[in-house]
Amino acid sequence: MSNFNLTLSPSQTEFVLKPGVTLIQAYDVINNSDSNTTLNTEILPWIPSGTDGSVNYNQAINNPTIEFSLANSDLKIGQPFVLAANSKQQIVLKIKTNSNTELSDNYYTFFVSQNQNNTKSTDNFSQATGKIGSHLLLTVSNTENPKIESVIQNFSITPNIKDVFLRPIIISGKVQNNSNFFFKINGKITITKNDKTIKEFELNPDNVLNHHARNISCPDQNICSINPPLWPGHYLVKVALDPNLNAKLYETSFYVLPISPILFILLIAGIILGIKKFHSKSTPTPPLT
Amino acid sequence: MNKKPFIFFIVFLLLSEICHLRSDISYAQTFVSPSFKIDFGNFNMTSGKKTSTTYTLTDTVGQNAPGQYDNNGYTVKAGFQYIYDKNIPLSFEISSLDLNFGSLTPNIGSTVTNTLTISTPTAHGYDILAIANHPLTTIGANTTIPDTKCDSGTCSSSVSDVWTSNSTYGFGFNANGDGTSSYFTNSTYFRRFANNSLSETAKIIMSENIPVENHSALITYKINISPAQSTGTYQNSINFIAVPKY
Repeated sequence: MSNFNLTLSPSQTEFVLKPGVTLIQAYDVINNSDSNTTLNTEILPWIPSGTDGSVNYNQAINNPTIEFSLANSDLKIGQPFVLAANSKQQIVLKIKTNSNTELSDNYYTFFVSQNQNNTKSTDNFSQATGKIGSHLLLTVSNTENPKIESVIQNFSITPNIKDVFLRPIIISGKVQNNSNFFFKINGKITITKNDKTIKEFELNPDNVLNHHARNISCPDQNICSINPPLWPGHYLVKVALDPNLNAKLYETSFYVLPISPILFILLIAGIILGIKKFHSKSTPTPPLT
Repeated sequence: MNKKPFIFFIVFLLLSEICHLRSDISYAQTFVSPSFKIDFGNFNMTSGKKTSTTYTLTDTVGQNAPGQYDNNGYTVKAGFQYIYDKNIPLSFEISSLDLNFGSLTPNIGSTVTNTLTISTPTAHGYDILAIANHPLTTIGANTTIPDTKCDSGTCSSSVSDVWTSNSTYGFGFNANGDGTSSYFTNSTYFRRFANNSLSETAKIIMSENIPVENHSALITYKINISPAQSTGTYQNSINFIAVPKY
């Protein structure tokens, strides 16, 4: 039974390069399977899709002023090669920008794909094949730190009615990149009550691509949340991004209410009143004399 | 007034300050031979990973200022134990490539399965996309088994729905496991593959936003043919594409 089992490293590379330069990037491709595999290489442009780091290859346009080739003497892009079972091959990608390359970002994926087996079957049959990709984020710029502008968007704190005990409070939002160059989210969310810090989240350093938005996320489970119990009162939320991202400080606030304790007290009071009422009804009234 | 004691006092102060300054000078270790010289910033005399059934201990002895130091733009991890940080590369496995349905019987669904397994590096989630070259087609491309539209008649390459009826015909698949719940509610939900021959693009079938290690999903491929389906050997190719989240 044949299988596909490839490792591709690194999974993503990020470069800032000037027009008219050439750089190389080495990739390790490891065939972890017990059979030889015929592989091929491919470079495809992409654009971001959605706000969680997915990509779309369908509507992307190749930039003709950026050229890709392989520095390996025995390989070209698109040329099949055999990778023996449990072995590694280094593939060296050469990236060349022309002197007239526009100063902006370009996003590509370097793919290593399995060539389809010519399995001859006389049965009803589907042939599965695999493909694995490593992203290339290329910033073409004359300066190492091109100017960036960003804004915090769609910031929300749920649920709408926040209780001291019941549900966790979830903080979500997006960082919009209004510049031509990608950046990493670098910032934190601080939640204070009566000027005392209750919780501080360092935001995950996710990439926000040019003229696109990315959901903010927090370490561990990705969701920025505060678990109950919480003291009732007024909470202040500040989102501060790195000054280099040129985003305004975002501030908002919310109230935590003691709804569940009040409901519990009302329920107990109702039960007590009900029992009292039941007892007063069940006590026989003395006969009239 | 005798100035000697005062001068001695000043000289004493100067000498003690020089000695004090010299005591702050730190020396790196240097190894010299006639053919080489190696300067070490510090001399780690032992390090390693010690384990028992109840604990794991990593240590570095001799490291100057061990620990993790973070600042804007850089992180310094001083000490050997940081080499044990998990550094998982992007890996993708398809357990079986040959999906043989054997001979098909009308009104009886025929299924085969394989497993997709993925690991991603720190700071990256993943998407796994799938696309078929064309619907299951007889060799010579005369007839096809249509792609499933599920029991409701509304499922597509991007929308799943229940497919349990033996009178619903077609070819489709289900994914059940890590990262599939956004695409398939449970194992009774199916959809068809995106069709490359119609210039459709590959669709995401498995996705997570956090780094994962050996997360897997069982893919169930199902064919149910009608009694009117022409006899023949139906075949196609399905491509699974794994990419990290950027």
